[in-house]
Amino acid sequence: MKQAILKGQQLCKTFPDGNEILQSVDVEIYNRDFTIIMGASGAGKSTLLYALSGMDKVTGGKVFYREKEITCLSENQMASLRAKEFGFVFQQTHLVSNLTLFENVAVAGYIGKTGTPKEIQEKARQLLRQMKVENAKDRLPANVSGGEAQRAAIARAMIGSPGLLFADEPTGALNRSNTEEVLDLLTALNRNGQSILMVTHDMRAAVRGNRLLYLEDGKLLDQLSLPPYEEAEIKQREAMVSQWLSNLQW
Amino acid sequence: MEFITLLKANLKRHKGGLAGIFILLFLVSLSLVTVLTIWENSNSYIPAEMRRAGFGDLTVWVSGIPNPDLLSNEISALDTVERTESQKIIYSNYVLREQESDSEGQLILYNPKENRYRFFTDSLSGYQPQPEKIQPGEVYVSPSMISIFGAEIGDEITFPIARAGKNLILKIAGWYEDPFMGSSMIGMKGFLIDGSSYDAALAILQNAGIDALARNGAMIHIFAADPEENRSLFSAEINEKTSLSSYAEFVHSKTAISGFMLVLQNAFSGFLFAFAAVLLLAAMAMLGYQIQSAIQQDFVNMGILKTVGFTSKRLCMIQLLQYLIAIICGMLLGLAAAVPMSQNVRFATLTTTGILIPAKLPFSLCLLSFGSILSVLIGFILWKLRNVRHVTPMGAIRGETEKQLFSVKRLPAIRAKGLYASLALRQLFTSKRRYIGACLVAILLVFFASLAGRMDAWLGTDGKGMMDAFNPADHDLGIQSFGELTQETFEKTIRSYSEIIDVYVLAMPNVTVNGVDFTANVIDQPERFHLIEGLPAMADNEIVITEFVAADFGVGIGDSLTIGADLGNHAYRISGIYSCANDMGQNIGISREGYLKIGSDFPNLWCWHYFLADPSQKAAITAELENAYGGDIHIHENTWPGLYGIISAMQALILVLYSMSVLFILIVTIMTGGRILTAEQKDFGIYKAIGFSSASLRMTFAFRFGIMAVTGSVLGTVLAAVFTDPLVSFFMKLAGISNFASAPDLGTVLFPGAIITLLFLCFGWLAARKIEKIDLTILVAE
Repeated sequence: MKQAILKGQQLCKTFPDGNEILQSVDVEIYNRDFTIIMGASGAGKSTLLYALSGMDKVTGGKVFYREKEITCLSENQMASLRAKEFGFVFQQTHLVSNLTLFENVAVAGYIGKTGTPKEIQEKARQLLRQMKVENAKDRLPANVSGGEAQRAAIARAMIGSPGLLFADEPTGALNRSNTEEVLDLLTALNRNGQSILMVTHDMRAAVRGNRLLYLEDGKLLDQLSLPPYEEAEIKQREAMVSQWLSNLQW
Repeated sequence: MEFITLLKANLKRHKGGLAGIFILLFLVSLSLVTVLTIWENSNSYIPAEMRRAGFGDLTVWVSGIPNPDLLSNEISALDTVERTESQKIIYSNYVLREQESDSEGQLILYNPKENRYRFFTDSLSGYQPQPEKIQPGEVYVSPSMISIFGAEIGDEITFPIARAGKNLILKIAGWYEDPFMGSSMIGMKGFLIDGSSYDAALAILQNAGIDALARNGAMIHIFAADPEENRSLFSAEINEKTSLSSYAEFVHSKTAISGFMLVLQNAFSGFLFAFAAVLLLAAMAMLGYQIQSAIQQDFVNMGILKTVGFTSKRLCMIQLLQYLIAIICGMLLGLAAAVPMSQNVRFATLTTTGILIPAKLPFSLCLLSFGSILSVLIGFILWKLRNVRHVTPMGAIRGETEKQLFSVKRLPAIRAKGLYASLALRQLFTSKRRYIGACLVAILLVFFASLAGRMDAWLGTDGKGMMDAFNPADHDLGIQSFGELTQETFEKTIRSYSEIIDVYVLAMPNVTVNGVDFTANVIDQPERFHLIEGLPAMADNEIVITEFVAADFGVGIGDSLTIGADLGNHAYRISGIYSCANDMGQNIGISREGYLKIGSDFPNLWCWHYFLADPSQKAAITAELENAYGGDIHIHENTWPGLYGIISAMQALILVLYSMSVLFILIVTIMTGGRILTAEQKDFGIYKAIGFSSASLRMTFAFRFGIMAVTGSVLGTVLAAVFTDPLVSFFMKLAGISNFASAPDLGTVLFPGAIITLLFLCFGWLAARKIEKIDLTILVAE
């Protein structure tokens, strides 16, 4: 029996112009899963991700993280939750421009207070090594490639050993080789037990997940469960996902 | 047409920054025009009113004269004299609201036909026609009596004309304007009375004999045949050829009086001019920052406009015009607001200056100032806009404006301990150009506030600095006996309150120096004089002089001057230069033995000056002595009436300075902060996403301004420490004060920097309120 780490109940999001992006979405994200949210442009994928992570306010419904409602948390409580329990990777690299890659990672650790400063610095070095950007750690984001920056962003997201890693189209702005590298890293993290919730419309990224959710017009339409990712089965997985998506008329 | 369209679009796009420029220039214009109005009007009004009041090229106050008209005729007979006018007066001390006067007042016989004076309405809201006559038992006084004594209409003033309670008691009927004796800067006050009151006082005086406390006299206004003639030579000639010196109490030239009356107003005006200049420089610093930020913000747009045929010159003209609109509107509004502001100032200063300075806008001066400021600003804007030349379509596409031009190696590291401060430092160092404007503003404001603080520290809460500058020697209490009262008697009273640490005697008789009237400070312990240079006048053939006397006569230490008094003349060697700002520095210091070679000695000449073990008992001793001996004794502390006016003006000045600084810092912080917040919106989103709370981000934001303000404050404080004394000394010399040296305590030195830093921190925190509104969805890819 899988344990739900994050739950969304009756989630609604309506913009001031009346546009309903999410319509009573009920969703559960399970511990140690690599969950993928898919859907056409404008389906509400990113909106659902941000609603579930508490980065955006919902206009209706509730979100529970480890059985605790987070939609009612104050701004400070939410900041603390983000620092200690959540990690974020965005489509654009979104690193602080005047901090080096190492500092970008370490600062996230300092604010989360997940260890002593020395422990955090050691962990930051280790993560950057793991993400294969150790050599660029003292450079500013403007002076590294998009792939390096995105890998540093993943290291930053992982510094606090988050309960859940949110990724919003993390390969959307990368070239093919960088995309593969980033996906491999995320897959490796998941294999080590990291729960991941990722939004993508890229087939290559989607097949990395073991559970795929399909969103259309703000409603959760269907889901697909896959076995854990194995590189050897990639073609088979792509076929399964393609079939599933074509059934959904994507 | 496209020019107008783009201009409108720019005005809309940069409305925040332009509004800031508008407000800054409004403040500059408001302060400048107000100061110009007060300065110009007081400089023209005081001499004009002195002419109306009938002051001659020289005005002599005489006493003990049997018939002033005879002396007037004697003086008028001189070829160098065009005519004389005389006003009958009675010198008398007075008591108002249980406070004894510090100096003698002058009961002036009012003659409405002379039309010398202007009369205020009871509420001091303006003028009223002069009364046809003053009622018996009534008196008109200067409004400065309000600030000195808290006087009100209906109050009684007691003039002790003779001993045994032979007083003249008059009721205040209203206020009149006296451009000289009306000011709280001047100790002697004029009292306009009618003929019957004058006759009553005269009758008491004539029957009092040796019991007389008041003195009969006159003010003789002497008009020179040649108005250009040197006043010193003119005075020397009259003294030589007439009997004037036998009766003269003191002599002042019209130039000296108006100079003295204007000197502090000019000094304060000069100070405010300098402050307006500082505000202008600060506004220019912010304007420069605004131009630079706007170019960065409009970089792409300008690149695109160049692709469709706009030249750099045309783009510059649009930019220039948008700033000029904000600047001119701000300046014009400042000009309009200066009218009510000047009105407020003229009424606020009425009870100190005794005159209602007109608030007529000096249009030509304003036009000249505005023209000069606009020329400077146009030049500055065009210089700052030179970078528009470098905008190219390709540069805009490549985003050249976003180049990172820093190296992290030289920057302080980010530390877990003090994380917010180290982040603030990093943000500050990596975008320091954004903060240069605010830092300059901090330097300028701290420098000016420090300068004012140092002046205030020199002045002291009780005006000791000023008193030391005016008094030839220090003391706690001065007592002069007018009757039989002996030194032993009043010393007994003093000792019942406090031990006497030290005592010396001082007299201030009139003497002539090379034939020109001067006041002499005669002392039995010449080493007590505030000596600046040389040696004290210990020998009976030595004198000390002020820097101003030295300059007037072109003499120095070792030279000789001829000093004369009622017993004759004698040459005295100048042994040193001392500091005493009395009579605008027109005085000399001499030993008792030295003076007695040329002047008569009589007991009431001398004033005993005491140093007390417990100076806090001064008020109690004064009260007891006055109760016991009334008019037989005159007691003065180390103070004078004008001092409170100066202290109040200084405090008002500092209040204005800090109020303007608060406004300026608020605008500067909001302008700079607004730009930075816009530029760093994404970074704030990232920080929030990794767990920073809005409060902590606001803190780092405020820290940046705090760090920048500390830097500016340190520089401003150092600049003030280096430049205050020479700068203020220059202005003080205009008032006859030659020994200005500020020795502020640590608190005074640190206060301006601390307050400016605190203001930047607070306003930085306030400006960062927008951080709370930054939504994390800003990080969502479009």
